[in-house]
Amino acid sequence: MTTTIDAPNGREGQLNSGNLSKLAIRLGAFAAFAGIVIYFAIAARGFTSPFNLTNIVEQSTILGLLAFGVTVVFIGTGTDVQRGGIDLSIAANAGLCAAVYAVLMRQGFGDAVSIVAAIATGMIIGLLNGLAVVTLRIIPLLATLAVMNIAAGLELVLTENTVIPVQSPLLQVIAFGRFLGISTLAWCFIVISVLLIWALQYSPLGLRLYAVGGHHEAARAAGIRTGRYVYAAYIFAGFMAGVTSILIVSRLSASTTGTGLMLLPILAAALLGTVFSRRFIPTIGGTLLAALFIGVLANGFQLLGISSYWVAGVQGVLILCVVAMTSFAKRD
Amino acid sequence: MHQRRYTTLGMLAASVALNAMATAMVNAQEASTHSLEGKVIGVTVIGTDHHWDLMAYRGQIDQLEELGAEVIALDAGRNDQTQISQIQTLIAQQPDAILEQLGNIDVLDPWLQRITDAGIPLFTVDTSTPHAINNTTSNNYNIGAELALQMMQDMGAEGKIAVFNGFQSVPVCKIRYDQLMYVLESYPNVEVIQPELRDVIPNTVQQAYSDTNDVLTQHGPDSGLKAIWACWDVPTIGASQAISDAGRTDVKAYGVDGSPEFVEMVADPDSPAGAVVAQQPYEIGRQAARNVAAYLNGEDVPPFTFVSAVLINKQNAGEVAGPFLPQAGDGAQ
Repeated sequence: MTTTIDAPNGREGQLNSGNLSKLAIRLGAFAAFAGIVIYFAIAARGFTSPFNLTNIVEQSTILGLLAFGVTVVFIGTGTDVQRGGIDLSIAANAGLCAAVYAVLMRQGFGDAVSIVAAIATGMIIGLLNGLAVVTLRIIPLLATLAVMNIAAGLELVLTENTVIPVQSPLLQVIAFGRFLGISTLAWCFIVISVLLIWALQYSPLGLRLYAVGGHHEAARAAGIRTGRYVYAAYIFAGFMAGVTSILIVSRLSASTTGTGLMLLPILAAALLGTVFSRRFIPTIGGTLLAALFIGVLANGFQLLGISSYWVAGVQGVLILCVVAMTSFAKRD
Repeated sequence: MHQRRYTTLGMLAASVALNAMATAMVNAQEASTHSLEGKVIGVTVIGTDHHWDLMAYRGQIDQLEELGAEVIALDAGRNDQTQISQIQTLIAQQPDAILEQLGNIDVLDPWLQRITDAGIPLFTVDTSTPHAINNTTSNNYNIGAELALQMMQDMGAEGKIAVFNGFQSVPVCKIRYDQLMYVLESYPNVEVIQPELRDVIPNTVQQAYSDTNDVLTQHGPDSGLKAIWACWDVPTIGASQAISDAGRTDVKAYGVDGSPEFVEMVADPDSPAGAVVAQQPYEIGRQAARNVAAYLNGEDVPPFTFVSAVLINKQNAGEVAGPFLPQAGDGAQ
């Protein structure tokens, strides 16, 4: 008798402690973010100036948009890096799209054709990821790693590893234009974030994608064609790579090598984003905060005069802490 | 006749006087004690992973700090996006001046313009741009021509050259490459192998080793290939190793900068490293900082300042290579 009464109580206690630890970590993440922002606001001269705050948003835009692509893949396939999905090709893909755009522009095709071609390239690479993961059933980690190399190789073929300068009135507007005091890049970040939050958190399509990533078999049993959603998630990540590549070229006035180096910060932002969500799941809002968090760190460190060499190291430590805390809380 | 002799003597005297003036100017600049007390100076570099870059970066910081400035030193880790973000934040910090060192000019120029638009005096190291008040560098026109002529001499003015040309977007590389091509116009029996090679960052040495291996395979001992050229001397380290490993004695490598490892190769009579123009990056960095100090203390600063460079070849290495060798210590150059 005692046992039958005690058992549910015990489970409830466990659940409560699990929920409590999740809540603590989530609140802790928000508190850490807020604490760091407040510290920078007090200690770093010029941190809170409107000009600097816009800078932070601008500097986080490219990272954030690419991290959105990975977030959508996480949502559609689950965040378990070993068994779930991941897109390691996204940064190299953006580099390839930037190269396609720059090469076509140099050949006189104009913005419209070049932008469409760049985005189409990104989506084809996404399709390739989908093919490898869904149809050929290769582990996503390896499949997208292979596709990453394909994209990086194609970029080298196109650019011969050189800088390809590009200029156009549109790029000028994206790089240096302002509307209501906010730069075009920052507007892109804001508008795309709002659209994606709506599409993924509030539309039936988004809910079905969460269902597919949350429990593949259950979603299939409920009549959702899961394969198509996973394909779509990878193609969408490719689409984001294409769109972001235009912003990259506008900011650098050129297609340059080294876009692939952004992979780690992108994964960091997408993984860190889960800490800001209620159930430790990937969300666009969480990734948005995580990208801004990383942007705030780099900016604040520079304003405080801390050597730029420390930034990458401290980012790494933070990511390690967050990922460790998240997996610990999930185990609970 | 007398008239001509006097004219010649007069020219000689004028030239000596000019040289003395130039030396005096350099000495005056070296002895500059302009204070930067209370000034904040930003230093932004694309990367410090190579000897030249690191020495020039250190030279700027050391001299600025010696003059009393607070230095915001930013190393972009060879990433264009990072450097742009750092420059953007630097503009918001409103320092008294900004020093920028190397990088892709196509990427940098719009942002360098934003620095001047924000009213911040801009100085550059090894980067010619219309937005800078002063560019402190070596005379890259001379460097390019001198190295090309040395190569022509060693080749007997005929044969084939394999050229690494991956960094046309870096102004100093473009100047040296253009000077090479200008010199080659006078030597029709010298041919540049097409397509040209692409030097890369990172993995410069490894990639150059493998590219040179391919070139050596395609162009055997009877092909007329006699030289490998690069606008800097990190690829030529890989190229020299590849030539040595292939057992070829008919091909030599030529580069610029004075990386201690490559200077050591040039000084070694058995190495295929042919010649290098060694610069003084640490002194270039210090001179750039002194220019900032002079400007902020109200002095006129010329649009460019050249710091001397030395051609080191197989013949003169024994006399001139000493200060550039690894054991000479970092601060020496």
